[in-house]
Amino acid sequence: MNLIRTELRKILQYPTFWVIMATYVLLQVLLIYFSSSFMVSGQSLGKSLYDFPNLWMRFSYIAYFFNLLLGILIIVLITDEYSFRTLRQQVIDGRTRTEAVLAKFYVTLGLAGVGTVFLLVMGLLFGFLYSSDTSIKAIFGKIDYLSYFFVQAVGYMCLALFFAFLIRKSGLAIIAFLAWSKIVEPIIHYQLDDRIDRFMPMKVFGSLTPTPGQEIIDGLTSPMMVLSPAWAVLPALFYIAVLVLASIVLVRLRDL
Amino acid sequence: MATVLYLDELSKKYGSLQAVHQLTLQVEAGSIYGLLGPNGSGKTTTLGMVLDVIRPSSGSFLWFGRSMSKETKLRVGALLETPNFYPYLTAKANLQVVADTKQADHGHINKMLDMVGLGTRSHTTFKGFSLGMKQRLAVAAAMLNDPEVLVLDEPTNGLDPQGIAEVRDLITRIAAQGKTILLASHLLDEVEKVCTHVAVLQAGKLKANGPVGDILSTQDQLLISAEELAPVLQLLERLPYVVQFSQDKNSINLSLSEGYTSTDLNRDMFAQGIVLSQLLVRRKSLEAQFLEITQK
Repeated sequence: MNLIRTELRKILQYPTFWVIMATYVLLQVLLIYFSSSFMVSGQSLGKSLYDFPNLWMRFSYIAYFFNLLLGILIIVLITDEYSFRTLRQQVIDGRTRTEAVLAKFYVTLGLAGVGTVFLLVMGLLFGFLYSSDTSIKAIFGKIDYLSYFFVQAVGYMCLALFFAFLIRKSGLAIIAFLAWSKIVEPIIHYQLDDRIDRFMPMKVFGSLTPTPGQEIIDGLTSPMMVLSPAWAVLPALFYIAVLVLASIVLVRLRDL
Repeated sequence: MATVLYLDELSKKYGSLQAVHQLTLQVEAGSIYGLLGPNGSGKTTTLGMVLDVIRPSSGSFLWFGRSMSKETKLRVGALLETPNFYPYLTAKANLQVVADTKQADHGHINKMLDMVGLGTRSHTTFKGFSLGMKQRLAVAAAMLNDPEVLVLDEPTNGLDPQGIAEVRDLITRIAAQGKTILLASHLLDEVEKVCTHVAVLQAGKLKANGPVGDILSTQDQLLISAEELAPVLQLLERLPYVVQFSQDKNSINLSLSEGYTSTDLNRDMFAQGIVLSQLLVRRKSLEAQFLEITQK
């Protein structure tokens, strides 16, 4: 509790935090709002995009792209502690190194929670405005996708957390985070058999929010082998644990 | 007296550079212990190791006779190298973060800000502070949970004369409360003015340690000459308070034991019918003493 309270003191008064969160919210609202006018094979997707219960799946897929922003925020928050030398001061003042890493892990849980609640609010808002079916059954039909999104957001941020503690410089850590998640691992995926690469971290995290309409695409081309969201939760939790533990070991072994 | 900090052959190696070499030291409760040495002599590395932010390559240390733990950390307030705070937070908010970590009473925050003379600036953000104010805020943070020991690393570094005077005054006031202070400095004059004990470091090695009076002697050097040096030398042999003397062409260099001055020497010479043609008092510079110690 003490750790969380201290983290809140630091974050809530940090202008950079609010700027990144405002960007996160604004861009996501815009994308959700304008995605109904996207053209797919000559036809706009239309308001059916906001139909319960598939809305949860579509919205969490949209939110998936913004996890990068949350990851960058985590990197900024952690590397700041190195550049301000406040991590060092807190260890001098009586925190253990493990607590220093855990405090940031709690921040990722909090941010993922905020992202999930935001998605819930957006879903209810757009759903009630545009959905043709607003029965209880429809609303809560696929709401479990929100929990998959939560795990995914934590996973992305934990990868960012690991790179931040590993590299300690914001610019380089952000580059490493983006390069791994968007370039390096996808290249490895091409080299590997689908049966193996579906267990790689970024693919596992991606499987938590499947591409809407993947069934149709699979019908046209050879189907991609990916885990179903429910099956991806377990390996995702495994990767989260590994990333956090690796960060703890790293911080404990090195000079501050 | 209880031993506050004990270092046992503590060493730190950075690649091939031996930053600290088998340092053994003991800091007693109630002392103001100065760690003296030029820049790069291993002072900060030594403090970093006992403060748990730098991992020793070998050797060990004990705080209050125990190995380092959360409990021992809470009994020590420390400022290492620079004042480390969140630039965008106010002085008060920064101290709230520190108070959380140190499990200190948040009610002490205003009292500490007043103590270091920042009471009226508690709502200014840290980045708006002058270096002297930052340094004083760091002292306030270190004192927040009323620790038994205060570790200060170059507390007056980079300050203007006014800032130096303020910080030194603060240290003296804190010491008067009976706290043990461990102070690293490259300024001899600072250690001489503030400390009771001193350890001299050079290139990571301990060159000398003990009470300041023993290590940094304030003995004066005298230079005398007379028409005839022979009777002078004879008399110097017999005077009990002459510590040592040496002849130098037409003059004699000598030093006296504590409590005696050039007046005593002059009186005794005259009483024996010797008239000195020259009597010069030379204060041995601290820098010269320091070089003497480190070249031993």
